Amino acid sequence: MIFYAGPIVLGFLLGFIIGSRIKVNPESKLNFTWGSYITIFIAALVAAYFIGPFPYYQDVPLASGFVSAIVGIFVGKVTLGRYVKDDTEH
Amino acid sequence: MSTILKLFIFPAALIITCLGVNTILGGHITPGGGFQGGAIIAGAFIFCAVVYGLKDSPIKFSHDFMGRMESIGALAYVFIGVAGLIFAGSFLYNLGVDLYGIVPSFIKTIFDYPDPTHAGIIPYLNFAVGLKVLVGLSAVVITFLGFEGEFDEDGEEIEEIE
Repeated sequence: MIFYAGPIVLGFLLGFIIGSRIKVNPESKLNFTWGSYITIFIAALVAAYFIGPFPYYQDVPLASGFVSAIVGIFVGKVTLGRYVKDDTEH
Repeated sequence: MSTILKLFIFPAALIITCLGVNTILGGHITPGGGFQGGAIIAGAFIFCAVVYGLKDSPIKFSHDFMGRMESIGALAYVFIGVAGLIFAGSFLYNLGVDLYGIVPSFIKTIFDYPDPTHAGIIPYLNFAVGLKVLVGLSAVVITFLGFEGEFDEDGEEIEEIE
């Protein structure tokens, strides 16, 4: 099976950049558990399947950039996007 | 904002972000591109900022982050353009495709985009433009949301004259 590295790498990079900015404020009432993130991931996979690959792409029946973006978002969130450091984040 | 919106918007924003990334990556082969995809990602951020407020928004764009991304996007665009000027004599010459056959093969390999179409520098330019647009549009909305009124020299709010 052929994998086209272009959309996978660039999609992961863009997703990682956005994911590193997901920082939940501990004082906020907003609480998304790991279960909700897994649900979002499954929903993203379903969406990628229905979007389908770009024209001429015959590697996988998914939108590979879409999937690598959601993976990048979660990797960015886990590695860099834990908590808000202070109120000057904005 | 209502609880339903607060439950729905953050997961939706993540999916919309992925759609924006997909739009950026398909710019050379399908309708879309850097500006459109960047605007979609900025839309996802704006969604969160409006519903949760700037302080509680789970996606936080700091001033330093936006400055860095804007600079990286602009510099990447200029770098790719100047590379064409250096190796082929034309600004923004597509080094990855090399239609005129005037570039050494290793340069062509470096700027090649690994997908079935081999579009050269176009997807990289889309990436750079996407970064610039997503932070640019977000910065506008952050400025509007953070505006707290006009104050005079004594610190008192200036009232509107009708």
